[in-house]
Amino acid sequence: MIDLLPLFNWLDTSLLATAAKAYGGVFAFVQMLHLLAMATLGGMVLVGDLRLLGLVMTDTPSETVIANTQRGFGIALLVIILSGVFMSAAVAMKLYYNEMFWAKMIGLSIGVLFYYAVRRPLLDADHSSINPITLRTTALASMTLWISVAACGRWIGFS
Amino acid sequence: MLNEGLLSLATWLDSHSWSTQLHESLYMYAWIETTHVLTLMLFLGMLIIIDLRMLGVIFTDTPAAKVAAQLDLPMLIGFCLMLASGLALYYAIPVRTTQSVWFRLKIMLLIAAGVNAWLFRARMRASVGTWDMDRVPPRHIRLSAGLSLMLWAGVVISGRTIAYDWYDCHKQLPDWLYQVAGCVHELAAET
Repeated sequence: MIDLLPLFNWLDTSLLATAAKAYGGVFAFVQMLHLLAMATLGGMVLVGDLRLLGLVMTDTPSETVIANTQRGFGIALLVIILSGVFMSAAVAMKLYYNEMFWAKMIGLSIGVLFYYAVRRPLLDADHSSINPITLRTTALASMTLWISVAACGRWIGFS
Repeated sequence: MLNEGLLSLATWLDSHSWSTQLHESLYMYAWIETTHVLTLMLFLGMLIIIDLRMLGVIFTDTPAAKVAAQLDLPMLIGFCLMLASGLALYYAIPVRTTQSVWFRLKIMLLIAAGVNAWLFRARMRASVGTWDMDRVPPRHIRLSAGLSLMLWAGVVISGRTIAYDWYDCHKQLPDWLYQVAGCVHELAAET
């Protein structure tokens, strides 16, 4: 297994860490971006998945809903990752030994992989050609994954 | 007068054993706070989608009123959960929260966001027939949507900042900040 300790040691002494530790206001602003991006990503995922489950926007074709939420998801994910790296730099060594942080990172990796390797290719097809059970299972798996990632993120502070 | 009243209410809530138990619980407080954050995804997520439609960024081929109407219910459910978990969080730490500058700012921004949403809806209902199918809605609608996003961003940042003790009453602060935070005892001690 790859030992990431040297990477976290480097991050802890990097310029990014110095900036994150020195400027509380900047840190708080980046944290706000992180939370807003999380809300945006959550909104995009939930609207798409709840539509696949037939719970919201039932008057709009599910293909339209999915197509309209994909770009927002990508931008929000990018902001989450960039702001997350900045915030991690401030407490790099603490995070390295935090189990919830690793749970979040594993969840995030699975979530991204699931989104780009499973959900997106599947939903790019005509939805009427997909088995409804497959659609619903994909939606439930997607929601479970992203809600878990967000919950683990909050629990980093509690553990 | 208002500060004294708010502090009395907070002190009374703080005297409840349930408040102490909730604050000191190993998991309950953490779960409520997690729920509060997760409801951001539901409430704010839906609101962002509606506002982005009003800004002409997404769902541009779907009528604006239809997007708003179809996401109203999940947004309302998210808001109710967020409000309930927020009240529980306040109940767990009432005195410090009441005297937090950030909490006060958050409440002000929440009220402003609420008023903006009410005006926005009224304006939208009055004129939607003329622009519902427009890919980019009129300027006044876009301005309201932009203001809504900014106000909610303010609510999020002030909410998150409550955790920091930069301007807590036990710190040495200028008088005006004691006033703003409602640090009744500190102000009394100075006079």
